[in-house]
Amino acid sequence: MKSTDPIVLIVDDDAMVREGIQSLVRSIGLRVQTFASAAEFLSANIPDVPKCLVLDVRMPGQSGLDLHRQLMQANTEIPTVFISGHGDIPMTVRAMKQGAMEFLTKPVRGQDLLDAVQNAIERDRTLRKERAEIASLHKRFESLTARETEVLNLVVAGLLNKQIADQLGTSELTVKTHRAHVMEKTQADSLANLVRMFEKLKNYLHK
Amino acid sequence: MTAPLRYSLAILFVLVALLASLGLQEPFSNPSWFLFPTGVLAATWICGNGPGWVAVCLSTFAVQYFFVPPFRTWILQPRDIPFFISFVACEVVANRIVAWRVRTENALREARDELEVRVAERTADMENANKALREQMAEQRRTEETLQATRTELARVVRITAIGEMAASIAHEVNQPLAAVVANADACVAWLTRQTPDLGEAKSAALRAVEGATRASQVIARIRSLISKGAPQREPVDINSLIEEALVLAKGQVVLNKISLSLLLDPALPLVSGDRIQLQQVLMNLIANAIDAMANVTGRERTLEIRSQRVQAQSISVSVQDSGIGISEEFISRLFEPFFTTRAQGIGMGLAISHSIIEAHGGRLWAESKLNEGTIFRFTLPEKQASIDEKH
Repeated sequence: MKSTDPIVLIVDDDAMVREGIQSLVRSIGLRVQTFASAAEFLSANIPDVPKCLVLDVRMPGQSGLDLHRQLMQANTEIPTVFISGHGDIPMTVRAMKQGAMEFLTKPVRGQDLLDAVQNAIERDRTLRKERAEIASLHKRFESLTARETEVLNLVVAGLLNKQIADQLGTSELTVKTHRAHVMEKTQADSLANLVRMFEKLKNYLHK
Repeated sequence: MTAPLRYSLAILFVLVALLASLGLQEPFSNPSWFLFPTGVLAATWICGNGPGWVAVCLSTFAVQYFFVPPFRTWILQPRDIPFFISFVACEVVANRIVAWRVRTENALREARDELEVRVAERTADMENANKALREQMAEQRRTEETLQATRTELARVVRITAIGEMAASIAHEVNQPLAAVVANADACVAWLTRQTPDLGEAKSAALRAVEGATRASQVIARIRSLISKGAPQREPVDINSLIEEALVLAKGQVVLNKISLSLLLDPALPLVSGDRIQLQQVLMNLIANAIDAMANVTGRERTLEIRSQRVQAQSISVSVQDSGIGISEEFISRLFEPFFTTRAQGIGMGLAISHSIIEAHGGRLWAESKLNEGTIFRFTLPEKQASIDEKH
């Protein structure tokens, strides 16, 4: 297996259930790492690859829901498949609201679990791609100087070079130069593309 | 009697006295001396004070006119004056005495009447109070009946809830190994039906499935053994070694929960006679409870202290003390009730069973607790008797 292959993280306090799920997931060729408690999971080194979390709701100490909430708050969300001994409706609703991918009730049908795991990994791939894109955007926009950022804000607001020059009290030629730098540094090949990237980053940061 | 009637009657009395005196003058010499005072007396007595005075005056005049010589004249000779004055004085005295008597009697009657009224009032008051009391008692009885009914209902609900909780706990305990069976069986099938089947993986998954199924059946066997009470085995048991064995099993949990353990075992602890397995179960249960009680404790040390000692002449005592969350007074009396549990997991039978095991061994199990400080469970067991040992 390559080190970039996706990995399935299983947290369940019951060793036998943990082993069973692990074996099942490994049988379709996925990498697995298991943990007996939320604390063990939090203190472990998790490889930076597409992954998903299979999480038992009811565990001694920190519950599965608690762990999931903690990950969400730390902005380190991993798409999660919950499994529970008794999936009552309020608990399921809470888990789903918290952004769980799937909520399965023990005993879990093997195929259901594998489907859920694969969906979750797909979701994580998308999330990772998005996160990487945002990170790259962030880096590019960060590299702008203060003046260039001013010009950028006015450009995306739809102002013409002449108007920007008036507003900043400088010449149209200077504005053009700044603008060229902005396009170059952000690697935007068109104004439309620049606006799209700007909006995306803004939305993300806003969130 | 109206006033005019009373005055007329007084005059009539004087008239009667006059006529009788006149009529009886011949045989009795001068009867006016006692007939007039009698008239005055009667008038004062019957007609009252005013008419009495009228009778006095009239009598005085009548006596002076008719019976003081010279008769039938208003002339009063000086020699008759003392006699006349003493007569008038007699009349006045008679009048006063009677008037005083009448007044006294009236006052007495009034007092009596008033007393009667008061008694009647008090009687009425008391009757009212009595009635109110009876109503209050009836009300209280109704309240008590309602309370009793509510209690019965509550007890029923608690019983049903307890049974429901027990069912839920059993369901959970059985479901957990079943989940392991299903997951491992699924894994086994998956390993077998891969393009390149992996028999090794399939086998270990199948073995785990078997293990899970065994565990499920053990849970059921355990529940069954709770229901059927077998006669306990009797053998000499060293409680200290039982404690140490129990701790070997609990060690993992003690370390995992960062609990500091202190073991104070009396090296000269006598043996007890009992069922090793059952007593082991009690110790395991108490230790597991103590660890559980400290699972959510933060901000203070988690300590587990187990102590064994000889108490009194023929008895040993074992205590298991934790620094856990403690048990509220409301719960402590129910601790040993079957199906009573404060935990989400567990069927609430552990302490009930421990209690019955200790009692079956002739000992006692009880708990003392302080909220947020911890709980101490203590049991006593009688020392092994030499005579029993000889019989076996």
